Formats: sequence, structure tokens, C-alpha cells
Amino acid sequence: MSSPARTTAAAGTADDAGRLGTGARAWRAVLLVALVAGFLGGSLVGNDHWWPFSPWRMFSTSTSPDASVTVSAIQVQVAGDPTWVNTGLNPENVGLNRAEVEGRQLEIEDDPAMLGTLAEAHARLHPADEEWTGVRLVRRSTVLEDRSPTGETRERVVAEWTASGGGRLVDQ
Amino acid sequence: MTPTPRRSRNSATIKDFAKAPQRLNAWLFTEMPLARVALLRVAVFAFVVIDVLKLHTSGYFHGAADPVWYKPLVIGEILSLPAATLLMVGLLKWGSVVFALAAMTGKAPRALGWATAICWTWYQYVAFAYGKVDHDRADFVIALFLLPTVGLAHLSDERKSQAAGFALRAVQLAAIATYFLSSIAKIRFGGWEWVNSATMARAVVRRGTWVSDWMLDVPFLLHAAQWGLFSAELLSPVIFFLSERWRRRMVLAWYLFHVATYAAITIAFYPHLVMMLAFLPLEEYRDTAVSRWRRWRAARENQTT
Repeated sequence: MSSPARTTAAAGTADDAGRLGTGARAWRAVLLVALVAGFLGGSLVGNDHWWPFSPWRMFSTSTSPDASVTVSAIQVQVAGDPTWVNTGLNPENVGLNRAEVEGRQLEIEDDPAMLGTLAEAHARLHPADEEWTGVRLVRRSTVLEDRSPTGETRERVVAEWTASGGGRLVDQ
Repeated sequence: MTPTPRRSRNSATIKDFAKAPQRLNAWLFTEMPLARVALLRVAVFAFVVIDVLKLHTSGYFHGAADPVWYKPLVIGEILSLPAATLLMVGLLKWGSVVFALAAMTGKAPRALGWATAICWTWYQYVAFAYGKVDHDRADFVIALFLLPTVGLAHLSDERKSQAAGFALRAVQLAAIATYFLSSIAKIRFGGWEWVNSATMARAVVRRGTWVSDWMLDVPFLLHAAQWGLFSAELLSPVIFFLSERWRRRMVLAWYLFHVATYAAITIAFYPHLVMMLAFLPLEEYRDTAVSRWRRWRAARENQTT
């Protein structure tokens, strides 16, 4: 693998310099066993909250070949304009990414005013922008049939928050 | 067959079995070149700088999010880590950059290495404690915390050490564990039917590129790819039992897989790509590159004189 010339040039005890004593080996072995236990435990019974020992579950869920693929998006209003405009649901824009907001959908449905904090985060990140007076969460679905999109998409508003009216759940 | 050779074969197996702990010990603490550790460290710390500045910035933006979105992870509950603020994420981000740049000099490898490890890991924690954990970054924590245990290692170091061998082994094990344990996660969360599900089609619908969009019209391709990926992940630990030549080919194959994944859905598990370098004789590659460059320069100078 490596050439024999790559040994130490120094004389005498240098041969031992690269060797570890019993104690140094012992703590490394114990640490390795602990890490293996942590990662195996995380993968077999743990969840995301165990990070960095959480299971490596990227793309691990099964998607039905005929289901629909749904993504969340947000739309916002500014003062004096009733139109809802699409805006990015990403960290640069609102401090959170799409998956983080999607993961809290039940809490948002319980307390739609949570959407108002996205307007505050946006103001913190982009103080020069016009303030948002309304934020609403929409879900867009792409329908799959036999692993291919049918071309059909559906959109519905889940919840909204306005500076004047507070949070409200939109009729399902 | 006569009973005599059979008995001797049996006793040989038993002796082999009895030797297993010794062999494992020798394998974990194989002496490996310190220069390899030094080069891997440069790659790891350079990655930290690029990562916090360019690649994985969601932690920073969580500093602006309302604490109502903070969902402490287990480690954060144990250490009572608070919700992020813009000041805190600023300190963690720039702490990672400054310590990583300082660590790249090779000086004070333990203090600077662990300072980088703490800043980067905490910064990742902030990124993950708002509801979404990325599943490609845990193995890098191992590299950051274990590479400093080797102590001083110069780029031009010609010595080998067992501490270097252990750290490199641990990084290799963590990198391969990522593959193996993701196949376990697929069985656990997706079930055995994962291989026949539309997971890759879903990924392409959500994040497809011009390289991959056409595959939606040829669904059996993505279906076959799921079988291939799952098998490769489940069998990934085989890499430790291969000859050196095949081991390097396998590392190359994994790199090609990650290139293909990036082309198809623009997802790359960057920290993991750095981890896989632990399998390669980096110092030999460096020496070859340097000598080729010298020869090329000498040849050019001969031409001009």
C-alpha cells in the first residue's frame, strides 16, 4: 500500500513514538463502543431528536405509486393591497425552511397566529422591505399515477394571519 | 476425505476465532501515516469554512426566527441549550470560520480542532432544532472530534502512528455506517416495500432537474435504481474486507453515485464526501501530483533554455 521508505527517519525510540499505550488504546476502544452503541441505538429505536445519533432516514419513507406529492408555500400581503403574493418559504426570507414549517402544520392549525412570527422574522432579516400585514399557508399537490405525474395540481389555503384580524383557520 | 485434515481444519477455525479480538485490535490500531491525517484535517477544516459561509446557512437564519419555533433536541435538553438569537448564530458561525482557519495551520491541533468541532456542531444543532434534521451531517461530527486526538501531524510528516490509524479507521467506519444505517432506516421507516415504492419519483417531482425529469416517463429506471441503491447500502460494510485496489474502486463508485444524485435532484451530502477521503492514501496522491508538476516544470524549463 505505502512504500517501505515511509518510515521514520529519526533513530532510537522513534519506532515507539507511533505506538499507543494500553490506556490510550483503552479509552479509544471504549469511545468507539459508545459511538457504535449510539448510532445503532439511534437507527434501531431513536428518532430525529437524537441527533447526531438520529437515524439516517433521508428518502427512507415509501411513497405510494399513485399518491399525490404535496408541498407547502406561503403567500403574503402588504399594507393597502388585498392581493396575496407568492413569496419564498426559505430561511433567507422567513428564517425557516419549507420542511420546518410543514412539520409544524398541526400546531399552525391550532394557532394560526404563529404565521405572524414569519412576518417578524422577515422584518428582522430584511428591515428595508415593506412590512407584511398578512401571511397565509397554502398546500399544493401534484397527483401521481403509476410513479408519473398526471399533470393535475391542486391548491388550497390552510391558515392565514393578518395584522388586523390575527390568525384564523381557513375553511377546509 | 480422511478425518485427520478435517480435524485440523476445524481447529484452525477455532484458533482463528480465538484470535479475532487480537485481529480487531490490530486492525483498529494499524499504524497509518501522520501526513494523511494532516491532509484530511486540511480538507475537513476547509470544508467547515465553506460550509458555514456558503453551503449550510439555515442555522444562521434561525437566529431571526421566533423562539416559538425552537424544538430542543435531546442533546440540547441535556446541555440546556437556549433558542438561537442573531448574536449567538453570528458567534458560532464566525467562531467556526476563525478556529477552522487557525486549525489549518496545524498548530495547537487539539485546542483549535476541538474549538472548531464545538462551534460547528452547535451551529448544526441550531440548524436542526427548528423541526427539520438533515440526515447527512452526523458522521462529520465524528471526524471533527476524533481527528484532534492524533495530536501534532505535519503535512510533510513521514512517521506513522497508531493514533492516526485509529482516527482514520473511526472516520471510515462512520462514513460507511452512514450508508449501512440508511438502508436500516429504509427498512424501519419505509418497510421492505421501500424498494417498490415511488420514493425516487417523489424526489424527482419535488427536486428534479433536466438530467432527471425524463426519468419520470420511464418509471422502471427509477424503480431499478431503488433496488440498486438499497442493495449497495446494505452491502456497504463489505468495503472493509476487500483488497486495497477494490476498496479504492468502491470509494470511486460511491463518489460517482453522489455525482449522479446531484445531477438528478441537486442534493449532495457534502460533509460525507469529505469523510470518504479517509479511505484514500492522500499523501501518496499529493506526492505523485507534486513530482509530476516538478517534472512538467523541469521539462518546460529545458525547452526554453
